[in-house]
Amino acid sequence: MYTTYDIFEEVLDLRNIIDRFFNEVPYQRRRVDYPFVNLYERGDELEVRVMAPGVRPESLNLQLIDDSLIIEGEKKEDYADKPYIRRERAFGNFQKAVKLPFRVNPDSIKAIMRDGILTVKLARSEEAKPRKIEIK
Amino acid sequence: MATDVRKTDKDLYKRDEIAINPPVDIYETDDEYVLKTDIPGVTRESLAIMLKDNELEISGSVDENLRGHENRTYAEYTLHDYLRRFTVGDGVDGAGITAKLENGVLTLVLPKSDRVKPRKIEIKVEA
Repeated sequence: MYTTYDIFEEVLDLRNIIDRFFNEVPYQRRRVDYPFVNLYERGDELEVRVMAPGVRPESLNLQLIDDSLIIEGEKKEDYADKPYIRRERAFGNFQKAVKLPFRVNPDSIKAIMRDGILTVKLARSEEAKPRKIEIK
Repeated sequence: MATDVRKTDKDLYKRDEIAINPPVDIYETDDEYVLKTDIPGVTRESLAIMLKDNELEISGSVDENLRGHENRTYAEYTLHDYLRRFTVGDGVDGAGITAKLENGVLTLVLPKSDRVKPRKIEIKVEA
């Protein structure tokens, strides 16, 4: 089977690359405060997954204010007093408010830190659940 | 055949197959090199450290549950597998490498081979 070189196909590839550049904007190119956060929703359950490698649970502070989750903490530098060959990792204090899609039950919050990822599990509060209104 | 080549070429752009270069700190003491790298999402089981032909390779894969897009409604990051290679020369004692994974931070201690360790030079004073 022969396939001939088609310059227009290359042009279309280039267009796809450019389209991807503008459509799939990765987090690096957006202005987003540290730490980076993903939200997962399933029914009345909500999961906030925070990427926070090197942050110890004891230097993290979580707070629920209204329908926002406040993540506050410090990634403590672990520098040794030695000559460095490479220094690429970043450290510092951070504070971030994550607006939740609905009000949550404050008693239901569970937070686990595992492998550098903080997972906060929340459940929708009773008041935020849809209610059927009887029509008389 | 030609179409096959073109297909693999296109696969290079597939995001799912990308491995990320994690940020690394390396410092040196008299006896060892210490390497620290941030690899969130990697467990002890999914981490592989290889020293072969003077090349150190750190690779870690992230569990599908963490990488998946299922039920995700908002995203500021996506996790990918990690891969980083270093040329270490023959200055590292491969058998003595120790690794510790804690809170998504990998600490590798690479002991220097005797050949490159600093040696104190005795100075004899002649009477």
